[in-house]
Amino acid sequence: MFLLHRPQLQGITGPSITLHGVCVALQNAIKLEHATIPPYLYALYSLDASKNPQIADILQSVVIEEMLHMALSSNVLNALGGAPEIDTPNFIPTYPGPLPGGVEADLTVNLAPFSMTQLKTFLRIEEPEDPLVYQSLAANPVESHCTIGQFYTAISDAIATLGDGVFVDPPRNQVGPDLMRESVVVVNVATAQQAINTIIEQGEGTTTSPLEGGGGIVDALAHYYRFMEIQKGYQLVADTTAPGGYAYKGAPIPFDPTGVYPVPTNPASPPGYPPGSVQASANNNFNYTYTSLLSSLHALFNGDASPKQMNIAIGLMMSLKGQAKAMMAGIPDPTVFTGPSFEYQPVNPGISG
Amino acid sequence: MSYLNALRLHFAGRFQANISTVNNDPAHFDNAAFKSSYQDLEGPNQEDPPNGWFNPQGDAAWRFLGCKVTAAWMPTGAVTSGDPVLGYIVADTDGRVPAKLADLDSEQQLVSEIWGLQVRIADTAGNTLMRGDFDPAAFADIWVRATGQGGDDMGAGAMYQSVLTNLQWCDVSASPFLSALRQAARTGLLSIKFNVDGFNMDNTSPDFMTGRIAGTIGPATASEPRHMVVGRQFMATAAPSESFFIPLGAINFCSAVVDETASCIYLDLGNALSTAASGGAINPQGDLTLSIYDPTSLPGDPAGTTGTTVAIGVIPASGAGGYVQNPNWYANTAGVVALPLSPAQLQAVASSPLLISGKAGVLISEWSSSAFVRADRFVYRMSPDETVQIPVYAMRFGKPLAGVEVNFQLDPSQLQPAPGPPYSLATGPAVAVPDDALAFNPTAVTDSNGRAVLTLNTSDPGTPRFFNNGTDYGIDGQVYGIRPAFSDAQTYTGPVNQLNFISILLWSGFTPANPVTWTDIQPIFQQYANLYPVMNRFLDLGNYDAVVKNTRLLLLAFGLNPSDPNSMPVTRDLSPAKRNAILAWLKNPLPGEVRARANTADIPEPAVGNLTGLAMPKGGKAAAAARRLILRKQ
Repeated sequence: MFLLHRPQLQGITGPSITLHGVCVALQNAIKLEHATIPPYLYALYSLDASKNPQIADILQSVVIEEMLHMALSSNVLNALGGAPEIDTPNFIPTYPGPLPGGVEADLTVNLAPFSMTQLKTFLRIEEPEDPLVYQSLAANPVESHCTIGQFYTAISDAIATLGDGVFVDPPRNQVGPDLMRESVVVVNVATAQQAINTIIEQGEGTTTSPLEGGGGIVDALAHYYRFMEIQKGYQLVADTTAPGGYAYKGAPIPFDPTGVYPVPTNPASPPGYPPGSVQASANNNFNYTYTSLLSSLHALFNGDASPKQMNIAIGLMMSLKGQAKAMMAGIPDPTVFTGPSFEYQPVNPGISG
Repeated sequence: MSYLNALRLHFAGRFQANISTVNNDPAHFDNAAFKSSYQDLEGPNQEDPPNGWFNPQGDAAWRFLGCKVTAAWMPTGAVTSGDPVLGYIVADTDGRVPAKLADLDSEQQLVSEIWGLQVRIADTAGNTLMRGDFDPAAFADIWVRATGQGGDDMGAGAMYQSVLTNLQWCDVSASPFLSALRQAARTGLLSIKFNVDGFNMDNTSPDFMTGRIAGTIGPATASEPRHMVVGRQFMATAAPSESFFIPLGAINFCSAVVDETASCIYLDLGNALSTAASGGAINPQGDLTLSIYDPTSLPGDPAGTTGTTVAIGVIPASGAGGYVQNPNWYANTAGVVALPLSPAQLQAVASSPLLISGKAGVLISEWSSSAFVRADRFVYRMSPDETVQIPVYAMRFGKPLAGVEVNFQLDPSQLQPAPGPPYSLATGPAVAVPDDALAFNPTAVTDSNGRAVLTLNTSDPGTPRFFNNGTDYGIDGQVYGIRPAFSDAQTYTGPVNQLNFISILLWSGFTPANPVTWTDIQPIFQQYANLYPVMNRFLDLGNYDAVVKNTRLLLLAFGLNPSDPNSMPVTRDLSPAKRNAILAWLKNPLPGEVRARANTADIPEPAVGNLTGLAMPKGGKAAAAARRLILRKQ
């Protein structure tokens, strides 16, 4: 499982709980949620979706929820008077590298085309503290580390300790369900915990079920189990005869390795794309659009939570999707496959850069 | 007041225009006859097999790439290196999707417009100093700029002129130039003009779908036209061409403005000087001399004559500032030169036509009357039963020409109907019929600002461009051209700019079933799915289930104002009537039937080879230019 440095809990556990500490932890949470998106998208758009439709659907469904988690964490931070910082260079992790707050030796995340090896990384990111019995990884976290779920639980508990009095009144800068489905407007301890529980349960499931809690959507498996379906090659379905009531015995989820475009792993690693190359050119346009998206999200989460700003952000996401799918699929040159490096690039250098 | 001003900056770099090419062939609008191969990249044999031309996967994005401020000027002279503006960049949006480039119509591809462009001046880290919205504008004066390129798209040059609105300024106090520009922009407007050439069509090149750009930004006044200069108009004579315009004197149409306060004339040669190679160095034509000409001493058109001329300034070919010798001349000037005028010259230019000569003699001149008339905005999309007032501006000696009669005539000669190369239908959709769908005043008289108004009323043209004898869904509406001209053709005469006319796309009336069902919507969506393979990255627009799954996103995209860069369709060719039907259907997506073609035996096979014997230059615009009606009549 993915383990965070124990210092991530500073200011949100024990006797030292402070509002500042909670805000710092929430900013780290926003960074962490975002940090999973580039590798998931890289894997998703490396797939020829006509050959791997189910895997593409699963990856896409997880990415959408990671975006929701960014919004939920931002709502909580804003409700406490904080200000999410999104459009800065250090908001984006370096790939390969650890996830923000993570233990470097524990998990190195690559930007890589989809493979069963890359899937293992995704499983480790999403693995709960005590995964339910449908598989057998069982290492307990060592004392100096904590899981993502534990991290969020600590934030939730700290907020409860601080009480309703620390919430800004009237509510501010909230991206609500009118703009993003399943979002939660955070105004007090109860709604903050509702938001955080949504994050935990969509990521890890509840402690008793692989399903997301509370949503009432029967087939909404937590991320970890959706990825496990790919690994097992079958949907996870209710099975009263199986231990725990579920088994990977549903419809097949085949992986066709010929349906993966030959994009490089970690395109930003030295030497990177040669300046002036087809790949650098496409990558520059992508990164400029990606940086524009971070800028638009920063505006969205810092006071402009309007339908117009949301639509601008959605437009940018669609533009990125279109660009990524083209460059990774060998468009326009069918012999050149370019993976987007997801780097902060506020100036488009064009072809020369 | 315009970019031709003592206060101006120049910028240069590259641009991207990643247009899709499947819709370049009008025959591809025939849903019933559409073949999947029309979405494929063309092979080495161009039209064999039939395909989607050179960039079927284009997403229509229009971007500034690596554009830098190359020079800036103030009334006191050139801005020096102490002003940080010389290190700044010109960039597009940093907070929304890129702008889009859209043709007006498959049968009028020579007025492509940029929609949703935001222009920024920023520091090298990308921090914005000024931000403005580019008023959507079409390119003008496309021509064969690269003389060694053979008339294809790669050799073409063109220019865009518009204004920036909704200006937002950050702290520009560190730059005296930007501070002055901000002060001059209290009108809320800036004037911008840029030249584009050197387009790359090699899909294996990093430069694919990009070209060279060089431009100018300066002040603007609200009372002046937005897309043209009220100034001196140099008119080129046409040389024979089966593609884009070729000026006989090797200098293309261009403008100049006399600045009486600064005692100089600003001459914009940015889209007027040819190059040998595509996007390459400027062809040497010797020192270019700007002269005034006295028509009373030698009546007639000064072009090609050896009449009485008096030189008032020289643009040197050689030397440190020479337009040939200095390889940075074009980037540093965007083709704009300022020539000082003495008091006597100022007086003389106010009543005499101008000409430019080089080593080969007179290359281009104003009309002997120095008169000119043009529509400011010259591209319109209209619905039936709509009225629009289209201003045209007349000028003489650079001043508004008042009290003169202008006439307006239908002129389809520059439209580009099928058939034509490379592989259109044998009998394709005609243009400009029925001609009674447009009603307008045949004449108008200019007011004190030189402004006359064409009042255009429309009625339903029907569906003259449906296929299979009008029974199968095809190209919506109809395209028309209306040309303004002086009624007194004796006094005001000279070479005519073929492309100086108003293009109109008049949509068909459209009344769907109530409530609207998939039966009415499917042909519209299917056509977009066929013509824009980029949509396949998101959904199959022709598939009912796929569309229903995406109604939320589609409602968003189809509900936006066309000036929004996110607006669908990116082609801006959807009528309000059809848009409203789509929006109503997306809110209640009732199923329906997919109509089959009435008689499948009538589906024509795409013809392979050069059907018409016309020249077949490689490219989208060049192929369209070769289809122009005027060439059929010759």
